[in-house]
Amino acid sequence: MQAMPNFPPSDESMKSREPGDDDAGLPAGTEQSDLELVRRAQQNERGAFDLLVLKYQHKVIKLVARLLRDPTEAEDVAQEAFVKAYRALGSFRGDSAFYTWLYRIAVNTARNSIASRQRRPLDYEAELSESEQNNVAARLKHDDTPEATVLSEEIRQTVNAAIEQLPEDLRTAIVLREIEGLSYEEIATTMDCPVGTVRSRIFRAREAIDRALKPLID
Amino acid sequence: MTDQIREQLSALLDGELPRDEMDLLMRRLEKDPELRRTFGSYALIGETLRAPGGRVAPPSFAARVTAAIGDSPASVEKASTTRAVSVAQQPQHVALWKRPMVRTALAASVAATAVLLFRPDVAPIAQLEVTPANSFAMSASPTPAQSQRLAGYMVAHSQFSTPMVRRNVLSSLLAADPGITRVSYEMGEAR
Repeated sequence: MQAMPNFPPSDESMKSREPGDDDAGLPAGTEQSDLELVRRAQQNERGAFDLLVLKYQHKVIKLVARLLRDPTEAEDVAQEAFVKAYRALGSFRGDSAFYTWLYRIAVNTARNSIASRQRRPLDYEAELSESEQNNVAARLKHDDTPEATVLSEEIRQTVNAAIEQLPEDLRTAIVLREIEGLSYEEIATTMDCPVGTVRSRIFRAREAIDRALKPLID
Repeated sequence: MTDQIREQLSALLDGELPRDEMDLLMRRLEKDPELRRTFGSYALIGETLRAPGGRVAPPSFAARVTAAIGDSPASVEKASTTRAVSVAQQPQHVALWKRPMVRTALAASVAATAVLLFRPDVAPIAQLEVTPANSFAMSASPTPAQSQRLAGYMVAHSQFSTPMVRRNVLSSLLAADPGITRVSYEMGEAR
């Protein structure tokens, strides 16, 4: 088992990570948007940090659940990671992506949780990049509780079904944004339409999917 | 919650919202839980499309984090460290005039100077060359306005001096100018 990295992780330690870890598959523009929210949160604008939690809660819980042997602890450990991130926000200078920094805190918090319970951690996973971890998600599914697995599957099916129902222009816009990670400008060029139209199409696609999801997640 | 606001929310998630639209949206978000829920849902849609499977956060998760953080400001650890360091360094780096003893002595000497300035019977002051700038100090006796100003000064001085210094300065002042007593009484009655 490797030595625990220092907390909070310095931006310098982030630079030593493998290329590609930083964005962890996040779409274009996310980093800039996060930095603005962090800047506001550092000025004690609490709503800004709430948005960062809302944005990354699923990602962090998913990550932590894969690292812990007991996935039922995932929410508590993810919560602790967010609180640590909030308290250490002053040390975040924006040299790395916010999610990279948060990711590191979440991994360390999960490792500490495992160590404190004297359980054997799944070390090899903590060393994997986020994208690599996404690829091994399928073989780790047995670590999820049955309820979580069912809910997750229902959400996946609902989102896919809602996307199938979308008009083609909305479906293309949301796929280019969320899966391909293109910026609005790149999508506008691809779809040969104004940026404002792209913004509107992506919004309408999300609205349609949100309406379908609402009964599941409320 | 209008479509326009939710469209801004969608653009915010994508980092495509102009900064001038952001301020108002952030204020709305603080007040509107449904808007926050929508933001969380938009984030979940993206997460599901990019990496399906795995656990999802329950609807109450973000509220739990907010409650766990409480009212503490961001960067609490850093702020308290900074405070601790500055307190520890104070004896070495504090400016001379900020030290308690020096501060008291300064206050006392300023008070004494003020008393002497208002005393027409003190020779050194009387021998000062009269200029427009200091001519007020050369009048035969302090006017009520001057006495009142001096009394006000005494009140301010008393906040920064030790009880002993306060007593000494006050008694010499009272001995020198009975007008001060009168003004002090008047001020006390006014309260």
